Amino acid sequence: MFARLRSFLNACFRRDRFEAGMEHELRFHMDAYVADLTRAGLPRSEALRRARLEFGAVETIKEECRQSRGLGLLDEARQDLRYALRSLTKNWTFSLGAGAVLALGIGANVAMFSVVNTILLQPLDYPDADRIVSIEMVRTDAGISSRGVSGADFLDWQAQNSVFEAMAYSVDADGLATVASGQAEFVNARRTSPDFFAVFGQSPAAGRLLTSEDADAPVVVVSYRWAVSRFSSAHGAIGQPLTVYGRVLEIVGVAAPGFEEPGAAEIWVMAAPPASTNRGPGNLHVVAKLEPGVEFGAAQVQMRTISDRLAAQFPENRFQTATVISLQDHLTGTVRLTLWVLMGASLVVLLIGCANIANLLLARAVSRTREMALRAALGAGRGRVVRQLLTESLALAVLAAGFGLLMAYVFLQGLVALSPVDLPRVEDVSIDMTVLLFSLGLSLVSTLLFGLAPAFQAARVDLSEAFKLGGSKGRLSGGSGRWQSTLVIVEVTLSIVLLVAAGLLLRTFQVLHEVPLGFDTDRVLVAYTNYPATNDEAYDRRRAFYLDFLARVRTLPGVSAAAGVDFLPLGRDELPRVEYLVEGEPEERPGERPTAEYQAITPEYFQTLRIPILLGRDFAETDTEDKPGIAIINESLARAAFPSESPIGRRMQVDGGWMEIVGVVGDTRWTDPKKPAPPMIFTSATQGFGGSLSILTRTPADDGALANTLRTMVHETEPTVPVRFETMKGLFAEALAYPRFRSQLLGAFAGIAALLAASGIFSVLAYFVGQRTGEMAVRRAMGAQPSDLVGLVAGQGLRLVAIGIVLGLAGAFAVTRLLQGFLYEVSPFDVRAYVGAITLLGLAATLAIVLPVIQAVRIEPLKALREE
Amino acid sequence: MPHTADLLPGTLDMLILKAASLKPLHGYGVLRRIQQISNDALRITQGSLYPALYRLEHQGLLTTKWGESENKRRAKYYTLTPAGRRRLREDKDAWHRLVTAIAAALAATPDEV
Repeated sequence: MFARLRSFLNACFRRDRFEAGMEHELRFHMDAYVADLTRAGLPRSEALRRARLEFGAVETIKEECRQSRGLGLLDEARQDLRYALRSLTKNWTFSLGAGAVLALGIGANVAMFSVVNTILLQPLDYPDADRIVSIEMVRTDAGISSRGVSGADFLDWQAQNSVFEAMAYSVDADGLATVASGQAEFVNARRTSPDFFAVFGQSPAAGRLLTSEDADAPVVVVSYRWAVSRFSSAHGAIGQPLTVYGRVLEIVGVAAPGFEEPGAAEIWVMAAPPASTNRGPGNLHVVAKLEPGVEFGAAQVQMRTISDRLAAQFPENRFQTATVISLQDHLTGTVRLTLWVLMGASLVVLLIGCANIANLLLARAVSRTREMALRAALGAGRGRVVRQLLTESLALAVLAAGFGLLMAYVFLQGLVALSPVDLPRVEDVSIDMTVLLFSLGLSLVSTLLFGLAPAFQAARVDLSEAFKLGGSKGRLSGGSGRWQSTLVIVEVTLSIVLLVAAGLLLRTFQVLHEVPLGFDTDRVLVAYTNYPATNDEAYDRRRAFYLDFLARVRTLPGVSAAAGVDFLPLGRDELPRVEYLVEGEPEERPGERPTAEYQAITPEYFQTLRIPILLGRDFAETDTEDKPGIAIINESLARAAFPSESPIGRRMQVDGGWMEIVGVVGDTRWTDPKKPAPPMIFTSATQGFGGSLSILTRTPADDGALANTLRTMVHETEPTVPVRFETMKGLFAEALAYPRFRSQLLGAFAGIAALLAASGIFSVLAYFVGQRTGEMAVRRAMGAQPSDLVGLVAGQGLRLVAIGIVLGLAGAFAVTRLLQGFLYEVSPFDVRAYVGAITLLGLAATLAIVLPVIQAVRIEPLKALREE
Repeated sequence: MPHTADLLPGTLDMLILKAASLKPLHGYGVLRRIQQISNDALRITQGSLYPALYRLEHQGLLTTKWGESENKRRAKYYTLTPAGRRRLREDKDAWHRLVTAIAAALAATPDEV
């Protein structure tokens, strides 16, 4: 076996030497024989003649020698390839068209697959990444969804489980104020428990990581990226001071490059031990590493048992269940389906592209009938003809895949640019070995998809028929037309499905875009600040700073209103939820009281965002801390808590303090445009509520022009307070990033699909007209009106389109259910999406039908008949 | 001219192996040796020898080496490998069994039937 392989490979790779050796050997034989014959007395010329005769055909013998080395197939393949390339360059319009369609399809798929591969398929880059899990506490009663874990629950989980090697938690503190080398800036901080780095199997790039002895020590570990950007190297950061939220810490370690868990963490400090009394929903993110050999399912079962036991024991835990999720699923949970749907859509586009090319090939096979017949007549077997045609298709596909890769590179830039900022690991997306293999596989599969049917069709050529017909046109034995029609129907069907899906997502985006938020997002500049304060004196100073700052902002030219608010809207922050108790109503136990979202604001907040004050008044500068507490509630809360009377003047208790309601305002969808407005309670920053504020300024334009002025104003008074700007419009756009991403991409795919389908219809009808030119000319000559021909051609086209549309609608009904989770107030059977899809495809199809019809009508009977 | 016979299919390989088993030979030498040891009784199309030689080499039964011929020219010499020797023995045994069986069958007389 080995010897044969070696002999084959030798023959292949030392082909020149093999040929030369064979040549020499045969010549030696001839010469020796001629010499023997002349020695026996024959004249030289006679000897030569006899030697040649007895030796046999030299070329045939050589070919047989090559075949005995297994070189036959290889030579044929080489021949096919040479022939294929020649044929492709000869029909360069076809090659260019088909190649462009394929390159586009393969490019789109490769780009999509690179994203899927990096984000969903490649394991996370941690040791034993498959054993790292996230544990969430899911609340099962209606209304509230929370995933965070409380300190007491964490301690019980840690003590009672036997399936995890290590369990740790972290608490997010995004946008914390820091001062490094005199510069005020934001940092994404994480407070973590001692085992946090152990769960991820991390070792430091420099210095050391946090240990349990660091509990109260003023030390901090920073991310590699952060260290390099500030101190140009990991080692340069060690020992440097870093002021975090007013406290001076020493940088003792730099995490390994790329480690930024959870989220986009930049620094890690040790968390205080969790409070063992606090139960119910909490703010800890829990991660753990499975013991080696423990099944994921077993861990899930045990955690559920523990949380059920806690639920029976403590009323706060009644509705809570612990859920174990693999870390990768945890990170990609929300984008998983989005990416798979988009990947599927791009594959459908490629499928339509293949159908298109198959159609072109089928049409071309007709014009090549004579060529194929000739090959068959010269003794090429059917398999041989199929192989040659497939080689041609493969050459086309591989060339197209090459260009497709280049296009994928461009598409990828666009895809990353379009993608929502929080798409996990999106900056790592690249074209790697897996992707290259994928594109190679894709081109092979496409070759079979578009090349197989035409190849078999062409090989089925009927010799006598082909030569009898004369001319170069020829006609294929029956079935070719049926194939072409079927392919067009498939194209239309798939396009309709994609168009409907895109339509539904587009409608969702539109609905979301127009959903009444209850506040005006136009021309509001948002300045996010973080003012460290940890004691009463600092609290007072902070409040004074904000109130003074706002007073100065209001005097700026063009500013019509300005206010502060402590939690950002539209998905940036989650509002805290508090239980409330209305004075005079029956007192329920804590834990069973109704809840409302809670937000601290300054005066002019409602005016800045144009939220209507329905009853009572706004907060005022005169509502100071020494006065009794006051609150403003929204309409939803007023309706829920005071169904039959005015809430003004009534009192409610929140967090143990009593507040008098002074106003009722309109509802707002502050945190999530998709969710109906929750009941809300506003308190006043002038009375000491809330912490660091974001400054909202109503400006003359949406250009953020005021940003620099505001930044200077902040830094003149408080140089250590960092500030960052956004527009309310930008925040809103970001909140709709996923619906936009989905509808844009699917819309693009559907658009390409419709174009391809239209060109498919066009090529089939044009072919139909071309084939029947003679027949039509005869009809015209016999007195048929142009309108009869219009009917003939258009009828053929409309029939295909109609069948495709009907099948497509059925397909859409079946498939769009997958999209249910992406839709908002749009039914999967939304009439507008379906009508839109039919209209769009109908328009494209009409154009594709009209051109061949014109071609048919323009046939001049005499000229056409003469040409036949 | 002596009586000649066409080769039975499949026997050329055996004859080549036999010829090359005596001493290393070049292609023409193999032909001459077969004619010599068969007393010119076998008719071989000269050219058909080469595809067979290449096939046997490909199967690892023969090995080749370039050397110098008796008239001082470069020529390719074929030698039997151990596998080739084994094959020759097997082919020979099979051939003898076949010949014996066929001879016995042809020698059968009416009363033996």
